[in-house]
Amino acid sequence: MTASSTFAIASRDELWLHGTLMESRLMHGEARQHGQVIDATDARDPRLVRACDDAIDAVSPAIAALHDARVRTVVRATREDGVESVETTMTIAIGGLSVVTTPADAPVDSALLRTLAEAKPTSSIFSLPIVWQNGSAAVLLHEAIGHANEHGAAPVSWPAWLSVDAPLVTRRETFRDAPLPRMKHLLARQTGAPFAPPDECIEVQLIAGGAYDPVTDIVTINVAVSSAGPFTIRRTRAQIAAALAGAAGEPIRYPGVICSREGQELYVASHAPLMITDALT
Amino acid sequence: MTGVYRKWGRVVRYENGVIIHVEEAGEASETDGVFRAKPAQTRVSVPHLQAREVEAFVAQTLLSVRPSVIERLIVSAGIARHETNGVIWTEESRRVHVALINPPLRVLIDLASFDIGVIETIAAALARAGDERAAPSRIRLAPNVSAALLPALAGELAMEQTGGGFDGKGQPIETRAVTSDPPPNWYRPGYAVRPVRAWLNIRALPFGSIDSSAPVAVALLAPIDGTTLRVLCIDGDVIFPTTLDATRIAAVARGEPAWYPYEAGSFGAEMML
Repeated sequence: MTASSTFAIASRDELWLHGTLMESRLMHGEARQHGQVIDATDARDPRLVRACDDAIDAVSPAIAALHDARVRTVVRATREDGVESVETTMTIAIGGLSVVTTPADAPVDSALLRTLAEAKPTSSIFSLPIVWQNGSAAVLLHEAIGHANEHGAAPVSWPAWLSVDAPLVTRRETFRDAPLPRMKHLLARQTGAPFAPPDECIEVQLIAGGAYDPVTDIVTINVAVSSAGPFTIRRTRAQIAAALAGAAGEPIRYPGVICSREGQELYVASHAPLMITDALT
Repeated sequence: MTGVYRKWGRVVRYENGVIIHVEEAGEASETDGVFRAKPAQTRVSVPHLQAREVEAFVAQTLLSVRPSVIERLIVSAGIARHETNGVIWTEESRRVHVALINPPLRVLIDLASFDIGVIETIAAALARAGDERAAPSRIRLAPNVSAALLPALAGELAMEQTGGGFDGKGQPIETRAVTSDPPPNWYRPGYAVRPVRAWLNIRALPFGSIDSSAPVAVALLAPIDGTTLRVLCIDGDVIFPTTLDATRIAAVARGEPAWYPYEAGSFGAEMML
């Protein structure tokens, strides 16, 4: 955190239900920080507001076409110490399941969501090895490595074949919020990992949410869609590290992680290869 | 909602070492089912807040919780002017959120006043907490615990909405029995949040008698899960974590309850399970 900094933001937030606009919000403001004091106002930066308007206009036809979905689109245009960025995220919900995606990936991810919403569990046995598909291992590592790093947790011995790039940068959701060290993205890679697909396993396709508790060092993962149906994993980081049994291929883009910490929700792009863990339930 | 809702406000907030002064104004409307919110263009004068009160309470808290460790401390004071449907009103607020840890335990404290006494009591208990024990057959819930539970007991326990002030649509809040009917008032936690019908500022009606010798649950160890409570319990000289099923309330104390910022407002009074 610099001794003196300025953060400006404009955001547009729209909620669409079955192709109909239900809610629309504009927010803008500026935060000037001097040491440990922040002065924040709802000052309007026309350039950032215009960037939001342009981005939301560009994505609106695609949203309106999602007749079977609940879609929340958030555009954030920010300027922090002179550096500008515009980020558009879409949270698409169909049949009680949701993904977080970008306009470019929305067609593919909404199609995946429809497929998953129709999927039926093929097993009810939870004490099996887990194959993490669709890049879903990124969520496990987001909690076990990314959030643990944010909290300065003690080191855990991860497999040598695993490398995780999850840099911490100062981020905040709005001009009202205190900036915090948060993950910019998470990119997990494997190099020479073993890969022996188990005869029997649970195939995880979609995660509903996760958490890391720095007091107990426990990671919680709520699986939304798997071959065994929804279930919950609660394990320490050491147990998760010991359970990582293998991986294969290049990192796969997981359809989105909205990361909430201290009440601030931020998008974290997440990628991980196909991964195998021992049973975690 | 037919009228435009406007809000002008200032907040001073301490959040884990940072002091944030926020000044903003917003307005919201609903037309043909579409809720819209945006910063307000009009300005009105809202009194300035002094950070000193917040900073003094923070300093007091930091000194009072030893040897427990503060994991999270958020303290705020705010003032807001509201205008909708021809009604104008001003509210002042204070909020405190503290998470104290004595691994593996974490207590959660939420207050609407700068009440250091509650925090000191809980911090002292947490520092002496022992191992998990079974829930006592009879136990009291401290007001800060019962207030968190109360919204989950709507329909199960006789309670009323406490009259006074205005709701999110500028309608007066009247004292009413809480029933299964749609609530008469609207809850609007912020200008950018679509208002919803809710029972506001609920309180349990007193009944039965409190056994003051029974163990007491002084703090939450986790957010409420339905009517299941993870609490820190004091039984004489013994302090321990336990899990309670709070479906059956045996008594609610008389006396003036304190207001807590749970859901759309909840008054805490000592309860007995």
